[in-house]
Amino acid sequence: MNCTHAQERFADVFDGRLAAADTAEVRAHLASCPDCQREYSALARTLAALDALPDARPGPALRKNFYAMLEEEKNSAASVAAATARHRHHARVSLWRWILAPAAAGVLALGGFLLGTRFATPAPAPAPGLDPATARIIADLQARVDSVGQLVGMSLLQQRSTSERLQTVLATLDKKNPDQKVISDLIGLLALDPSTNVRLSALDALYPHANQPIVRSGVLATLPREQNPLVLVAMIDFLVAARDREAAPELEKIVRNETIDQGVREAAKRGLAQL
Amino acid sequence: MVNSAPDAVDSATDTLSDHELMLAVRDGELDALGELFERHHGPLYGFLVKLTGQRTAAEDIAQTVFQRMLKYRHTYRDDGSFTAWMYHLGRRCAADHFRKNNAAPAATDPSQLQDHADDTPHAGDRAATRDDHALLHSALGRLDRDDREVLLLSRFQELSFAEIAAILECSVGAAKVRAHRALRELRDTYFQLQKEKLT
Repeated sequence: MNCTHAQERFADVFDGRLAAADTAEVRAHLASCPDCQREYSALARTLAALDALPDARPGPALRKNFYAMLEEEKNSAASVAAATARHRHHARVSLWRWILAPAAAGVLALGGFLLGTRFATPAPAPAPGLDPATARIIADLQARVDSVGQLVGMSLLQQRSTSERLQTVLATLDKKNPDQKVISDLIGLLALDPSTNVRLSALDALYPHANQPIVRSGVLATLPREQNPLVLVAMIDFLVAARDREAAPELEKIVRNETIDQGVREAAKRGLAQL
Repeated sequence: MVNSAPDAVDSATDTLSDHELMLAVRDGELDALGELFERHHGPLYGFLVKLTGQRTAAEDIAQTVFQRMLKYRHTYRDDGSFTAWMYHLGRRCAADHFRKNNAAPAATDPSQLQDHADDTPHAGDRAATRDDHALLHSALGRLDRDDREVLLLSRFQELSFAEIAAILECSVGAAKVRAHRALRELRDTYFQLQKEKLT
């Protein structure tokens, strides 16, 4: 072994990572080479001095700061998990709103139709022998009675439970041409009902009638009163789907209002772009 | 090793390896990082003090290393070595620190000298030892940062050269050559300083 080879292996000898046979070879060379002995000795002394350097110990602040940071991260991670759960809940609500609720309404309507055709009593025909003028008066009276019945029914709506109100709203879906009273009651529910689900269902029930100006202006008039971001976004979607350009100023107000939920403002911004 | 972990650290984690603990952290069990902190913050801090020559900077950098462990926990690999990863982050954080402060490490931090007191019975010997440690710190401070890093990693941190090579992002052979070259540099500077002190 020459000096170069021996010195190349010093580091491994110091680390104790060299095989015993190789170490013995290096030591044999050292025994016969004063230059390499000096080199080895100087390096060994330097390493010994280096290894003798005492370990510095950190102050208590390092541990304190570390655990404070860990707590903060845990809280932050918990917040993210909660936000994710909220998002999933929102997705489930959306699924209910857009797929399950209309499907349920369809099933209810079909059931109602089948029951009606099977058990409903036929409408009373005008008694034979009445003159046309009398028949018209009777028909007019019948219409008024029906209208009063509808009015009373919708007024009583507010006194029912949330699920009953929901069922009533869903029942309107099977009416292809509900009269204006039903429409205005739906708008009334959208504006005033305390339940978010009822308001959302009322809005869903109004979708088939979005072509009517009174429906669009009713939803637009209700928009500034609404506080719930979920309902607000649904109303914005409604107005945009109805291509109601009169909604643009109201949407601009929402976009500019920094106190309103960010998601709502973004929906309004998107809506404005589509309008 | 100081081991006064707060209650938050589950005693069940004591038996887990560093790698298992870090995988748990990666999977969301953030408390497991407490055990890793207790195991490693001392050696990491010691490495950083020798690397920077500054206690305050070493504390700041060590704090940043654990902060980055949390931040980048998702990047920890299944086949990773926790210690190698920690020192990899450590040298990155130290490089950021030097870049931010636009300064080379201090040769010797005078406040360090108080920590060098040892058990030598005679005052004269203690003073000589303190002086010797101060000289070595000065010599370390005069090395290139890369040389200082490889030397400290190879001597103090119980890392294999394969792990050191991974930390330095070079081959095992290159890591060995660099470590040996750094040792020779340190020897030259250290002996030179000793000579200057005597004259």
